[in-house]
Amino acid sequence: MSEQVSLLLESLREKAERGSLLYIGENIARIDSLEKVLGKPVYTSDLIPKGTIYAKLFHSSVPHGKIKGMELGTAKAHPGVLGVLTWRDIPGLNESSAVLPDRQLFAESIVRSTADILGAVVAETLASAADAAARIKVDYESLPAIFDPLESLRPDALRIHPKGNIARQMKIRKGDVQDGFSKSDVILEKTYRTQFQDATPLEPEMGLAIPEDGGIKVIGSMQSPHHTQAAVAKVLKLPPEKVRVIQAVTGGAFGPKSDETPFDVCSTAALAAMKYRRPVFCGLDREDSMVMHTKRHPFVISHKTGVTSDGRLLADESRIVGDTGAYASLGVFVIVRATFHTIGAYEVPNVKADSYLVYTNNTYTGSLRGFGGPQAIFAIESQIEELARKLGMDPLEFRLKNMLVPGKKSATGALMDASCGLPQCVEKVVTSSDYWRKVAQYRNQTGNIRRGLGTALLMHGNSLGPEGNDYGAVHMEIESDGTISVGTGLTEYGTGAVSGMMQVASSVLGVPLARFKLERPDTSKHRESGPTVASRVVVIGGNAAFKAAEQLKNRLVPLAGELLKVRREDIVIADGVVFDRHSPSVSISWDILISEAYRRGIGLREDGFFMAPAAPWDLKTGQGTPYVQYTWGALVVEVEVDTDTGYYNVIGVHAAYDVGKAVNPGGVLGQIYGGTVQGLGYAMMEELLHKDGFVVNPNLADYYIPTSMDIPSEFKAFIVEVPGPLGPFGAKIIAEPPIVLPAPAVRNAVLNATGVSVDDLPVTSEKVLMGAALKRSSPIQGPPRA
Amino acid sequence: MAKRVVTMNVNGTVHSVQVNSPDRLIDVLRDHLGLKSVKEGCGTGDCGICAVLVDGKLVNSCLMLAGQCDGRRAMTLEGLLDDPTMKKLQASFVANSAAQCGFCTPAMLMASWDLARRSNGPSTDEIKIAISGILCRCTGYYQIIDSIRQGCREGEP
Repeated sequence: MSEQVSLLLESLREKAERGSLLYIGENIARIDSLEKVLGKPVYTSDLIPKGTIYAKLFHSSVPHGKIKGMELGTAKAHPGVLGVLTWRDIPGLNESSAVLPDRQLFAESIVRSTADILGAVVAETLASAADAAARIKVDYESLPAIFDPLESLRPDALRIHPKGNIARQMKIRKGDVQDGFSKSDVILEKTYRTQFQDATPLEPEMGLAIPEDGGIKVIGSMQSPHHTQAAVAKVLKLPPEKVRVIQAVTGGAFGPKSDETPFDVCSTAALAAMKYRRPVFCGLDREDSMVMHTKRHPFVISHKTGVTSDGRLLADESRIVGDTGAYASLGVFVIVRATFHTIGAYEVPNVKADSYLVYTNNTYTGSLRGFGGPQAIFAIESQIEELARKLGMDPLEFRLKNMLVPGKKSATGALMDASCGLPQCVEKVVTSSDYWRKVAQYRNQTGNIRRGLGTALLMHGNSLGPEGNDYGAVHMEIESDGTISVGTGLTEYGTGAVSGMMQVASSVLGVPLARFKLERPDTSKHRESGPTVASRVVVIGGNAAFKAAEQLKNRLVPLAGELLKVRREDIVIADGVVFDRHSPSVSISWDILISEAYRRGIGLREDGFFMAPAAPWDLKTGQGTPYVQYTWGALVVEVEVDTDTGYYNVIGVHAAYDVGKAVNPGGVLGQIYGGTVQGLGYAMMEELLHKDGFVVNPNLADYYIPTSMDIPSEFKAFIVEVPGPLGPFGAKIIAEPPIVLPAPAVRNAVLNATGVSVDDLPVTSEKVLMGAALKRSSPIQGPPRA
Repeated sequence: MAKRVVTMNVNGTVHSVQVNSPDRLIDVLRDHLGLKSVKEGCGTGDCGICAVLVDGKLVNSCLMLAGQCDGRRAMTLEGLLDDPTMKKLQASFVANSAAQCGFCTPAMLMASWDLARRSNGPSTDEIKIAISGILCRCTGYYQIIDSIRQGCREGEP
């Protein structure tokens, strides 16, 4: 036996021993990495065929008003223009909404925000469409408007929608907060505010519609093709099967592409394509995208919290108000997730929370990475920090005393089991940041340059839970050459999750990921798999892929046993070799096995379907188990602040996340790095400013997102693996969670460095300086000065 | 709208293209020559993902008018697919999970290649500066920086 052959057999033996964890935990190259580094033409705007015409959306120029008339003649007469589409051109339902039917595709008589779309100019070129759109004059009767969500809640406030200004209410009732407060030694009441954040996927929203066989084919940048199909079909008044939606490779999404804007661009392109019988491209430029798509909700969150003098949390009462802008969008679910996370990763015996998602005349907000978590956790982690200071207790010690560990109960009364990996996460970041030594060292700083550490802890519910049935469908087919083709309505838009899901199947089948291929999600081929949101692809889709692969394997193993004359239970497949676990040289190749299966007519197509277990909770009390499992995390950041200017830098980040099982550690780290940096943007610099309902900075010159020069020089990321009950191999979700903790951690670090509490995001240098100046002028609270 | 013919060398081949006066370099590359690796993320020079090399300098192709390119040499990712340094960088991006959504990847690779020509073992700060004009919203840059550090090292496969 040559050395090479014996090495191969040894490696197969070793892989057979790994059993079900083959390929799991390995940094296998993503299925789509090659097309990306080669710059292949795979995105929607790369696929525009010759002869395509362009649709340019135009939107309202008042925050609230009645439309009295539109002057379209000049635009229609503009060179190259084919026509202008308005609500009159819609054959079906004039609606473009994800949950509540509160938003029209093209506003008919009333506009409720400056993001309201009035119509689209269709022209031979994008330039003529844009030029013509700028020439449209709309006559409005201005109506009074509300820009402050608290004002919108007043009983006498003007009604933005006929049913009133509250789009969704939600509450939690656990124990008796009055009793808790009466037993508390310290009670702290504070209010925290968060800002509009823009998701800023580098590719804005795009749709391309091509007339096809009495129907329409739509190719677009989106998260949920089946939802887009339903939305387009409704507008066109076509049966859904006449609308074929294909998700093109999508250049970032982060939430808004699961919300209503993909409906807008795809429906508009489809409308125009049906009318002019030509391919139509409708894509947003950066400014339109930042005005028209959903942003992260600004929240106003008040906490009243009671604690004993030895630092035990007894009661928390919170009021959460989310500004959904003019339309509810997926905000009706965002507010629910925020409410369930209102006391974060802590045990509090008595909890009362009341939350309101309210309409204003701001541009609308909706789905964005973290989905209500970032706002809720910013508020509670800030409150925890303030309480610790009030008690004179180290904030980490206070956290350790109250945080959720196995055996404790969450705000919803859910009992934490052994899958809670929070303590392990905390231990990692405390050690890595050298927390206790540094805290002691920074205690008595003098001079204008001050350092501080800030901590925040995370629980993040996995599964859609209250947002609907959580299922995934994956179709898998082995082709005659042994290639494994995977098709699903779940989409890839950057995280690598679909590749991770396929890595699960690769593990089950024992065939390397390189032998797999992914079909483009296509509503005419693939089953509806629910929305691709909530970071659920590896966990839910992974289970479906696991099943499909297992079903295929169950057909192949008996055949392999027969061919090799080996008992079925001794058949192992690894690296594309099918062999006897006791004697790996008794083997055939995967390809030969597959061709034999084809010869015998054994069908090699399977559908894997997985539905998450029910997550019941009570609507009146919010009590129950709204999520099937949780992702846990801990973050320590270190800042250096110049108190003379307020300028500060994050100089160190220590992050640990319990992901159950990292299917692809490189991919998991990518989510931790990327989410943290996006979260640092939210913490430090990002704010989509609104003035009287107008977005002030809808461009990347005035809306800052982190560049390579803004990232902390030290970033230590740790993967903790405490298996959960839901995902394949114990996997928990990871794409969204890392965006949550940076805001409170940075805010707390600045507080510990300077004594300045910034209670409204982002924590800008101006606010730090203003706070420091106020502290200096105050005789009581001034921090020690040199 | 005035029309004129612009003659430029793109990826080693001379092209004469009839352009309209407002056409930008990115329009010539994407629409006339079909070089779709060049991406548009803002059209205002803020995101940098349309970066290409013009006469050896990294520029935002959305900020250069086609008319300014007459007689110049432009290079896009498509023109470097057989280049050994580019191949090393691409392999490094794949190995380090540095491409997530992939929309900034071609520009990041162009900036990396430009840096690799100038420096064999660039420091982290040099790498950060080299890609500072290109936004990435997915990765937080760390895995891109690691990829460039590895891809720029001479002598390694």
